Amino acid sequence: MADLLTVFAAWVVLGGVGEWLAVRWINSGPWDSGPYFYVASNLGVVGLHAFNFLLEAAIPIFAFVVVMVLFSAIRYRVRRGERPAQARSQARFNGAFVGVWVVGSVLLNILFWLHPTVSGLESVYAAQLPQNNKGALVVNVAARQWEWIFSYPQYHITQAVNSAGLDVLYLPVNRPVKFVLRSYDPFHPYDKSVDVMHSFWIPAFGVKSDVIPGQTRVLYVEATHITSTETNPMVRVQCAEVCGGGHPYMEANVHVVSSKDFAQWVKQQRQLQG
Amino acid sequence: MARAVAVPKRAPTTQPLPRPGTMAPVLRGLLWAGIAFVVFNALTLAVDPSTQSPYMSEPSATVAWLAAMFAWLLGIGGYEAVARPLFGSAATWREAPGWRRYFGYSTEHKTIGLQYMLMSAGGFLVAGMVAMAMRYELMTPYLTIFGTSSNYLNAVGIHGSIMMFSVATVFMVGGLGNYFVPLMIGANRTLFPKLSGLSVWLVPVGILTIAMSPLLGVWTTGWRGYQPLAGSDPGGIIYYYLGVFALTLSSFMVALNLTATIIYERAPGLTWNRLPMFVWGILTVSLLNIIWLPEIQITFLLNLFERLVPFNFFNAYGSPAMYMDLFWLFGHPEVYIVVVPALAIWNEILPVMGKKSLFARPVAVLGLVFVMLLSGLVWAHHMFTNVRYTEQLPFSFFTEMISIPTGFAYLAALGTIWRSHLRITTPTLLVLMSMFNFLIGGLTGLFLADVPVNLQIHNTFFVVGHFHYTIIGGMVFSSFAALFYWLPKFSGRMFSELWGKVGAIWIFVAFNATFMNFFVLGLRGMNRWVGVYPAYLANENLITSIAAFVLGAGFLFNAAHLAWAWYRGRKAGENPWGAHTLEWQTASPAPATNFAEPPLVAAGFYTYGDDAPDVLWSRPAVQPSTFD
Repeated sequence: MADLLTVFAAWVVLGGVGEWLAVRWINSGPWDSGPYFYVASNLGVVGLHAFNFLLEAAIPIFAFVVVMVLFSAIRYRVRRGERPAQARSQARFNGAFVGVWVVGSVLLNILFWLHPTVSGLESVYAAQLPQNNKGALVVNVAARQWEWIFSYPQYHITQAVNSAGLDVLYLPVNRPVKFVLRSYDPFHPYDKSVDVMHSFWIPAFGVKSDVIPGQTRVLYVEATHITSTETNPMVRVQCAEVCGGGHPYMEANVHVVSSKDFAQWVKQQRQLQG
Repeated sequence: MARAVAVPKRAPTTQPLPRPGTMAPVLRGLLWAGIAFVVFNALTLAVDPSTQSPYMSEPSATVAWLAAMFAWLLGIGGYEAVARPLFGSAATWREAPGWRRYFGYSTEHKTIGLQYMLMSAGGFLVAGMVAMAMRYELMTPYLTIFGTSSNYLNAVGIHGSIMMFSVATVFMVGGLGNYFVPLMIGANRTLFPKLSGLSVWLVPVGILTIAMSPLLGVWTTGWRGYQPLAGSDPGGIIYYYLGVFALTLSSFMVALNLTATIIYERAPGLTWNRLPMFVWGILTVSLLNIIWLPEIQITFLLNLFERLVPFNFFNAYGSPAMYMDLFWLFGHPEVYIVVVPALAIWNEILPVMGKKSLFARPVAVLGLVFVMLLSGLVWAHHMFTNVRYTEQLPFSFFTEMISIPTGFAYLAALGTIWRSHLRITTPTLLVLMSMFNFLIGGLTGLFLADVPVNLQIHNTFFVVGHFHYTIIGGMVFSSFAALFYWLPKFSGRMFSELWGKVGAIWIFVAFNATFMNFFVLGLRGMNRWVGVYPAYLANENLITSIAAFVLGAGFLFNAAHLAWAWYRGRKAGENPWGAHTLEWQTASPAPATNFAEPPLVAAGFYTYGDDAPDVLWSRPAVQPSTFD
C-alpha cells in the first residue's frame, strides 16, 4: 500500500513538473508559437493546438512509465551482498491493473483520434473548401528540379522573381491563398517523365503538401502575420521530399506583406515582365 | 582445451577432413563469383550492346550480379552441399573444424546464428561509419567532406538500407533466432538446415552490393527509393535494388525455416501455451516476413524493370503515388518486424532477473500477435501529405489503435518488475533503458499519427528522431541486452558487470543527447535528406554531431567488451542467471548436440516462487524413436 502511495505521489510530482515545463514551452515564442517556434498561418495554428494538446496528454503517460520503472528498479533491487531469493509476491495477473490499463489505453487512443485528429482535420478540411475561400489569391506553383516557380494568373505574372532574379513568393496577409501545385518543368515541356516528387513546405505555415508528377493539388492557406524570410528563416519555401542532389537547395524566399504593399509589388512584377 | 569458443565434439569420423590444398570457401566463392560476373557481363553486352559504354550497362550489371550471386553461393559450399545432391550425387561438403567453419557453408543452427550475428554486426559497423561521416558533414551548414550534395544523399541511402535490411531485421531474427529457437524449444536443429546455411551467405552479398553501389553511379533517393526520382537516378540504384533483394531473400528463408521449426520441432510437452516469449516474438515476426518480404521484392523488381525495360509504372505517365503505397505496404510491417523481437526480449529477461513470474503472460503474447495483425493496416500514415482526405482518417485511426497492443509489452514488463527481487545486472539495465527509449519513440509516434501535426512534421528531422528512438532505442538496446544475457550460453564466460554498466550508461546518455535534438530540429524547420541546411540550425547540429561521435564510440566500446568477455571473461556456470527456459538446461557453451535426448516439458517457464512447479521438464526414461 505504501508502495502504491509512493508511486502515485511520484507520478503526480513528475507529471506536474513535466506539465509545468510543457506549459512554459507552449506559451513561449512569438505569438505563443511554442513547440512550432514560429507560426504565421491559419492552418499552422490548428496543427500547433493539436501538438500542444498531445504534449500535455503525453506527459502523464510518460511520467507513469518512468516512475514505475525507476521505482521498481530502486525499491525492489537486490542490494549488494543480498542473496537473490525468489520474490515474495508472485502475482501473475491483476484484473484491476490489466483492466484499467486496457480500457484506459483504448479510451485514450479513441480520444486522441477524435481530438485532436478528427477535430483538427475538420478545421483543415473546412479551410480547403472553395466556398470558404472566396476571393482567394491564386498562386500557381510549379516544382521542378530544383526550383520553385510562382506565377500569379489573376495578375498575369508568369514568374515572380526578386531583384537577384531568384524565384520569390509574395503573399498578402489575411487573405486566403490558393496554391495550385504541380510538378513539371515549364522549360522542358516535351518530356513528361522527367519530373519527380517534391513537397511544398513553408515551415512557418505549419503545413505541407506533396507535389506529385501527373497530379494537380490544391492547398488553401491564409497567412496571418506580416513577416518574411529575412525576419525569420522558418518563413521560406522548402522542398520536403528528396528530389535529387539539389534537394537541400530547393528553397524560395517568402514575403508576407500588407495588401497595399502586395498591390505595389504586383505592379512592379508586371513592369518587369513588360 | 584452452579455447573458450564452443568447439563441436566431432564424432569418430568416417568423413575425411578437407584435403590440403582445397581452397578456403570464401576465397572460392569470391573467385567463382568474379568469374561469373565477368562472363555474364560480357555475354549480356554481346546480346544487348550498350550505346553508352562497351564495358557495362544496366542490364549487363544486373545479369552479371545475378550470376555472381549464384556462383558465390555455390562457391562457399553450396555446390557440394546443395547443388550436387539435387542432381543425385552424395553430399560431399565437409565443415572445417574450429574457427574456420564460420567462414564457410554450415548447416548447424548455432554456427549459422553466429554467422548471422557477426555479419549483421559488420553491417552495423559499415552503416555506422557512414553515419559518422554524415554527422561530420552536418556539423557545418555547408558541404565539407562529401563534396557534392548527391554524394551525401547516397550515403544517407546506404546508411538506411544497410541498417534496415542487414541489421534491424537480421540481428535478432536471423542471428539470435537461428541460435536460440531450437535451443528454446528443445530441438537439436532447424527444419531446413541446408536452406538456412545458404541464406546466411546472402547477407554479405547484400551489404557489399549496397555499399559498393555508388561505383555504378551516385543514387540519391534514400532507403525508400521513391519514384519517379529512382527512375531518373544514376545507375547505382540498381545495386541498391539487388542488394536489398539479396538481404530480403535471406530474411525470407530464415522466416520459412524458423516458422516451420517452431511449428514442428517443439519438444514433447512444449505446447503453444508454454512457448517461450522470445519464440513467440520470432514466430510473429516470421509470419510477417513471409507475408511482406515477397511484396517488397516484387516492388523492387518492378523498379528494376522500370529502369531496364523501361516501363512507365511510376512516373507522370503512370502513378508515382502507387509506388509509395507499394513501398509502405511493406515498410510499415517492416518496422514491427524490427521491434517485436525486442518487445519479446524484455519479457524474456525481466522475469529471470527479477526472479518473478511473468505478469499477464497471455496479454503479452496477445500484444505481439495483435501488433502483427494490425501492422498491415496503417501504412498510409507515411503518406498523409499526399493521400486523399478520405484516407487520412481511417489510417490515423488504425495508427492510434496499434499503440494499444504495443503497450501490452509494457503492461507485462511493469507488472513483472513490481514487487520483484530485481537484480540490476547489465541486461536488466539495458532492458529498462530500452523501455525508456522506446517509450519516447512511441509517444512521438502519437504526434506523427495526428494528421494536422503530421502535415508539419512529416519529412522533417522529427520523423528521423522518432524512428531512431524506436529502432535504436527498441531493437539495438534490446539486442545488447540479449547479447549480455546470453553471453554465458555462447561462450561459457561472464562479462564484467562494472564495464557492462559503464558501457550501457555511455550509450544511453549519448543516444538521448544525440537524438533528442532531432525532434527540436524538425520542429524548427529542418527537412530530411539535406547535407546543407540554413545557418540558423548550425549550432544545434554541431552539438548533435558531437554527441553522435560519443555514441559511436560507445557502441564500439560495448562490442569490444563483449569480444573480450567472450574469450577472457570469468568462467560462468551452466545457468548463471537461474533461468527456467530450455536453452539454459544444457551445457554452456552450448554443445554440438543441444539435447542428448529431447526434454519432456511439464510446465511453462515463467512461473517463479511458491507457485512454480517442482519439475519443469525431464529426460524421458525411454528414448523416443522419432527424434534425432
